Amino acid sequence: MAKHKTPLLDQLESGPWPSFVSDIKQEIEHRYANPKGIDYQIPAECPDDLLGLLELSYVDGETHWKHGGIVGVFGYGGGVIGRYCDQPEKYPGVAHFHTVRVAQPSGMFYKTDFLRQLCDLWELRGSGLTNMHGATGDIVLLGTTTPQLEEIFFELTHKMNNDLGGSGSNLRTPACCLGESRCEYACYDSQELCYQLTQEYQDELHRPAFPYKFKFKFDGCSLGCVASIARSDMSFIGTWRDEIRVDQKAVAAYVGGEIAPNAGAYAGRDWGKFDIKAEVIDRCPSQCIRYEGGKLEINNKECVRCMHCICVMPRALKIGNDRGLSILVGAKAPILDGPQMGSLTIPFIKAEAPYDEIKEFVEATWDWWMEEGKNRERIGETLKRLGFSRLLEVTGTTADPRHVKEPRHNPYIFWKEEEVTGGWNKTIAEYRAKHQR
Amino acid sequence: MAFISSGYNPEKPMQDRITDIGPQHFSKFLPPVLAKNKGAWDYHEIIEPGILMHVGLSGDKVFTVRAGAARLMSVTNIREICDIADQFCGGHLRFTTRNNVEFMVGTLEEAKALKANLNARKFAGGSFKFPVGGTGAGVTNIVHTQGWVHCHTPATDASGTVKATMDVVFEEFQNMRLPAPVRISMACCLNMCGAVHCSDIAILGIHRKPPILDHENLDNVCEVPLAVAACPTGAIRPTKIEFQGKQVNTVAVKNERCMFCGNCYTMCPAMPLADKDGDGIALMVGGKISNRMTTPKFSKVVVPFIPNEPPRWPTMTKVIKKILDAYAKDARKYERLGDWANRIGWERFFEKCDLEFSAHLIDDFRDPAYYTWRQTTQFKF
Amino acid sequence: MALVYEEAKGKIIEFINSKAKSKSKFYFNDFTALFPDEKGRDVKKILTQMVNEEILVFWSSGSTTMYGLTGAGKHADGED
Repeated sequence: MAKHKTPLLDQLESGPWPSFVSDIKQEIEHRYANPKGIDYQIPAECPDDLLGLLELSYVDGETHWKHGGIVGVFGYGGGVIGRYCDQPEKYPGVAHFHTVRVAQPSGMFYKTDFLRQLCDLWELRGSGLTNMHGATGDIVLLGTTTPQLEEIFFELTHKMNNDLGGSGSNLRTPACCLGESRCEYACYDSQELCYQLTQEYQDELHRPAFPYKFKFKFDGCSLGCVASIARSDMSFIGTWRDEIRVDQKAVAAYVGGEIAPNAGAYAGRDWGKFDIKAEVIDRCPSQCIRYEGGKLEINNKECVRCMHCICVMPRALKIGNDRGLSILVGAKAPILDGPQMGSLTIPFIKAEAPYDEIKEFVEATWDWWMEEGKNRERIGETLKRLGFSRLLEVTGTTADPRHVKEPRHNPYIFWKEEEVTGGWNKTIAEYRAKHQR
Repeated sequence: MAFISSGYNPEKPMQDRITDIGPQHFSKFLPPVLAKNKGAWDYHEIIEPGILMHVGLSGDKVFTVRAGAARLMSVTNIREICDIADQFCGGHLRFTTRNNVEFMVGTLEEAKALKANLNARKFAGGSFKFPVGGTGAGVTNIVHTQGWVHCHTPATDASGTVKATMDVVFEEFQNMRLPAPVRISMACCLNMCGAVHCSDIAILGIHRKPPILDHENLDNVCEVPLAVAACPTGAIRPTKIEFQGKQVNTVAVKNERCMFCGNCYTMCPAMPLADKDGDGIALMVGGKISNRMTTPKFSKVVVPFIPNEPPRWPTMTKVIKKILDAYAKDARKYERLGDWANRIGWERFFEKCDLEFSAHLIDDFRDPAYYTWRQTTQFKF
Repeated sequence: MALVYEEAKGKIIEFINSKAKSKSKFYFNDFTALFPDEKGRDVKKILTQMVNEEILVFWSSGSTTMYGLTGAGKHADGED
C-alpha cells in the first residue's frame, strides 16, 4: 500500500485521458508486491515517494527538486542529469533521483524484446518510471542513485548494445521523423541520415566542447513532423527540385468525390462537396496551379513546395523525383533574445551516402561557431551577432536570393578593402593632387 | 539489498569499457512490411480516427492504430504495450514525436479489433490506458516537459496541466472535425526545454518573483562568478554584506532587471525563485511548424498570467477550451489557428475568443518587439 | 605547432589553480584561449585525456557543461 496520502493527485485519476497518477500507483503496487522477487538496487519505495513528493508540490505550489551537477558516467560529459529532492527525510526513496538519457533509434521504432530488456534494467536499477520520450527524443529513465549510473551504462552498452544520449554543451541526441519507413512524403531517408550523423559525431555528443547545446533534427518533408525548423540548430528538411507528379485520373476521382480529400483527415465534419478551386487552386501560396477542362496543371517553376495540394490529394499528386534536402541553421526557443526559426542556408543538397558534402558543411559550421561563439550562445544567436553572411563565408556557400525574404533595409554594408578598386591606401598627397585644401 | 554488479569494475573504469556506440540501427526494429516497402510508399488514408492505412507501390498495405499515452510511463505500462505488440503486431511498435504509441497490423479487421482492445483497457482509477485517436484535423497528444515531477526550475506542473487539458479537449482527440490540426504543447518554465514556441496553443509556466537570496549559505554552496555569469540580463552582481555580525560574500540582484528565468538557481542553489503566488501559467497561440500554405510561425502570448490551480487548473483549461471553440466555429477548412487569427486580425481574435487584452501583451523585450507593433493605419474597429 | 600532452596538461592545471580562489569550473572556451594557435579539436583531445586520467571532471547544469579539477568546488549537502 502506498504510504503517502495524495488527495490532490487522486483527482487526476478521473477523466478519460491516461492518468500518469494511476500509472505511478500501479507501479507502486507492483514494486511493493515484487512478484519476481527482484533485489531492487534503489529503494522499492521510490515511486511511492515520488508521488508523495509531487503531492507536496501540489499543496505548496512549488517544486521540491534541486539541481546537482556532478553526476555522469566516466569520460562522458552528458547523458545524466543530477537531481536531489529538498525533503529527503520525508521522501528518502527520491533523495537522489538522477535522470538517464538513452539514445533512441531513428523514428522510435522498437521490438518488444529490446523494450522488455530496458524495463528489466530500469526496474532493477532505477525507479521503474520513464518518459517515452523526452522532448529532444531520448528515452528518459527517471530517477536513480549515483552508484547505479556506471552499472546502468555498463549493462546498456554490454547487454543492449545501446549508448546514452546527450545533455549539456554538446551535440544533443539527434532526432528524425519516421521518413521513408512509412511515409510517401519523405524526400530522403531521414532515419539513415540521422543515424549516420549520430554515429559520425559520437565524440561531439558525449564530450562537450561547444559553446552551448547543438541540436540536429531531420524532417523528411516541409510539413515538419519533428519540428526541426523551430527547435534544431541545424535542421535538415527534405524537398525536391523537379516536378510534382500528377495523376489526372486520380485528380478526377477527387473532383468526382470518389476519394476523400486530405486522406480523410477532415472526415469528422461535413465540409460540403470537395471544391478543387476553393480548397486547392485558390489556396496555393504561389498561385501556380490551374484546373481547366478537367486537367490539373502545375507551373512547377513557380511552386514553393508547401505541399498543400499534395496533402489534399495524396493519391493524385506526388513529390518530385529529384530529391534532396534543405539545411536551415539557428532555430531555438525564445531565451534569450526571442525565438528563432532556422534560416535557410543550403537551399538544396543531395542526401546520399556517405553524406560527405553534408558532413563538410556541418564541420565548417561547427569550426566557426566553436571559434566565435560566446559561452552559452546558441548558433542562432552567434548568427545574429556576427551576421548571416559570415556563415556563408565560412561554409563556402554562395549568397543567393533564396537566403532572404527580402534584401536589407539599410545601406550600411561592411565593405572589405579587397572589394574596392584601389584598396584603402590612397595617400592624402594623391588626393591633394586634385583637390586644394 | 545486496549490490548486484553489472560487471563494471570501479577500480578500473576503462576496463572493457564500451563507449561511443550510439543507438541501435533502426532497421533492427522495423516491421517486415515497412522494411520491404521502405522508400516505396504510394499513399495513405485515415480510415477512421486513430486508424491509418499506408499503401505501398508493391500493393502491400499496413494499418496503423495510434493511441494516446502519458509521456510519464511506468515499466509496468511499457510491458503492457509490449504484450499488446506481441499479441497483435509480431512484437513491433513505435512511439511518435508527440508521445503517442503506434501499433501496426496487416488488415483493417485486425486494426479494428486492436482499436477496440486498446479502448477497453482502463487504469484502476478509471481513465483510458491507450485511447485511440490523435489523427487528422483534431487535437493530438500534448508534448511537454518535466514540471514538478522532476525539474528544479518549473513554475508549474507539466503532467498535471497536460492531463487536465487533455481531459477537457478529449473529444477532439477522438474526432477529426476541427478546421485543421491543433498542436498543443507545454513547457514548465520560460527556458522551454520542450520548445513550445511554434505551437497552435502553448501552455507555459512562468515565474514572477526574482530569486530569494540565502545569504547565510550562498558562499558555501555557490561559486559567485558562475551565479553572476548565469544571468542573461546581467541583473546579478557580487557583493559583500554583513550577515549576523559577519562579513559574507554573496550576490545582489537588481530585481527590476530580472526576467524570472531561474538560470541563476541552476548554477546556485542558494537563489531559489519558486513561489506559490508568483508562479503560474501564460498561454501562447498561433504558432505552427509546417510550411503548408503559410510559412512557419511563432506562438504569441494572449494570456499573460493564470494562477496555478492544482490539481486541475480549471481557469486555464476553460480559457483553452474557449479559444479552441472560437477557432472551431469560425475558421475555414485547412486554416491553422494562427492563420485564422492573422486573417481576421488579432483585434478580432481577442473579441471572438472573449479574452482581455492588456499592456502585458505588447512586446517590450529588446529588438524583436518593434516588429510586433502596428505600423499601418489598417486596423479594425 | 602540435600540442605536447604533458606540457599542455601542466598549463591547464596551472591555469585552473591560478583561478582557484574565485571559481572551480571552466568553460571549454577558457582552455582554447590558453592555446590561441591550436585548433579547438586538438585542445579537446588534451582535455579528454585528462578526463580519462581522472584529473578533470565534467560539471553539467543540464544545459551547459564545464570542466573542473576532480574533487574541487562547492556543492550543497546531500550531493555526491
